[in-house]
Amino acid sequence: MFGLRKLALTAIAVAAVMAPVASKAQDARAALSATSAIEEIKKRGALRVGLSTFVPWAFRSKSGDLIGYEVDVSKKLAEDMGVKLELVPTAWDGIIPALIAGQFDFIIGGMTITPARNLTVNFTSPYSATGVDVVASKKLADGFKTIADFNKPNVTLSARRGTSAATTAQRLFPNATLRLFDDDAPALLEVTNDRAHAWISTVPKPAFAVLDNPNALFRPFAEPLVGQADAMAVRKGDPDSLNFLNNWIQSRTIDGWLAERQAYWFKARDWRDQQAQ
Amino acid sequence: MAPPVENRRRFRLLDAVILAVVAAACAYLIWRANTVLNYNWNWSRVWPFILRYDEAKEAWVPNLILIGLWTTIRIAIWSAIGAAIIGAVMGLARISQSLFFRLVAGSYVELVRNMPPLVFVFVVYFFLTSQIVPLIGIDVALRNASPATIATIEMLFGPARLLPAILSAILCMALFEGAYVTEIVRGGVQSIERGQWDAAKAMALTRVQTLRLVVLPQAIQRTLPPLAGQFISLVKDTSIVSLISIQDLTFLGNEVAATTTRLFETWIIIAVLYFLLCWSLSLAFARLETRMGKHR
Repeated sequence: MFGLRKLALTAIAVAAVMAPVASKAQDARAALSATSAIEEIKKRGALRVGLSTFVPWAFRSKSGDLIGYEVDVSKKLAEDMGVKLELVPTAWDGIIPALIAGQFDFIIGGMTITPARNLTVNFTSPYSATGVDVVASKKLADGFKTIADFNKPNVTLSARRGTSAATTAQRLFPNATLRLFDDDAPALLEVTNDRAHAWISTVPKPAFAVLDNPNALFRPFAEPLVGQADAMAVRKGDPDSLNFLNNWIQSRTIDGWLAERQAYWFKARDWRDQQAQ
Repeated sequence: MAPPVENRRRFRLLDAVILAVVAAACAYLIWRANTVLNYNWNWSRVWPFILRYDEAKEAWVPNLILIGLWTTIRIAIWSAIGAAIIGAVMGLARISQSLFFRLVAGSYVELVRNMPPLVFVFVVYFFLTSQIVPLIGIDVALRNASPATIATIEMLFGPARLLPAILSAILCMALFEGAYVTEIVRGGVQSIERGQWDAAKAMALTRVQTLRLVVLPQAIQRTLPPLAGQFISLVKDTSIVSLISIQDLTFLGNEVAATTTRLFETWIIIAVLYFLLCWSLSLAFARLETRMGKHR
């Protein structure tokens, strides 16, 4: 009898202690999903996406509109969510602080997953795979074939600030001098003007640059130097958004939509007549 | 004593020589740029970004560069108004008899003046306006606003959905330039001779009356040239808000340059537009100065 009473008392005590904990957990869950970007988007009726100019990820058409792979992805995502799309062009340097400050809901801008970035934002599963490639000046880097050829103190490399290409350049060519620019265009210009030996950038830009400047530029390596995975970035502490975006990416991968769009923007340049010529 | 007008306008041999040297130097630079730089000039890709022919509307419509210029002008006008108000209030606080007001205005001026504009913009934007602007609830107000209200807002500030960003930029610029206007106002008031104050006191005017009737009218005339310089400087300084991704002339110019890969063409056009904007302001202020000078 005594044992049973003790058990009952213990059970009541445990229930008394646990009840507020359980409801607190419920409150926390409710609060978490209420502050999710997904809920904000539904309430607002518009999806706000942060991106930056990288041809052909996102750039301006002749009419000044944003076009490109990331724009297609964002449009499709908004369409599937049943909301309007607002693109927020942002300087690449400040795109992560802008996401954290709530200037837009997600970064859909071909952002490569890196551990450093992942400490400040959360990434979805990858939805496109790219790599880092090199374009060299025919005049300065004549005969350069190996990584060792470029990894010398008297070699100058250029890259866009804040990109994973810049980090890769630092890692693979620690002895070379790396010069960083705000955009890819001036970084490439350094090479076409023979002020830098090579430009490090994300596939397929280097290949396009060689097509545009066959007399001045060449690709010293047949394959991209490293592979990398691009993902959408969301604010930390938002599991609902991550879940939604991951499943969206998975279903759009399975039905082939993402692969088809990637082929359109990265494999060929059929879109060139839309770009200002 | 201003020299006689006809002397100021006469073109002399020395002027001709200097002009010729400058022109020769420019020509040399352009020639060097063309031979040294491995760069194929191609203006045709950039022109459509100023004005383009819209086939659907069958009309010429402004494209990114002109849209950016318009945004720059809007930001400049609103932040000039903001800076003038902040400057007037803080300038008077700086010469106030109350130590509290003098300290407040003094700290403001020293804080802003001793920070690079780039750093100031980042700090104000990410720590201040990103807190304040959502707090006012502009987003919600905009969603519930009537079409007429939205139309008015769009005319004054540009696209409604960019309003929070534009307001942040204006606040940044007004706070930044306001510090310099404060010092101009203080300098202007303090340049008025002691005798004027004494004379006003002898006529039994109060401090406020003295300021309003005697000191400020004279001070405004003296502060006009430095104020003109400051406002022109403000127009140029607005380019730093492109750092926080405001769609101004510099930001959109950057996008055009990145998209077309026509760097030099784009930036030359942007430079010419800024120059025209600031130069016409200079001319306008010069006219205002001569007109005010007549009443001296």
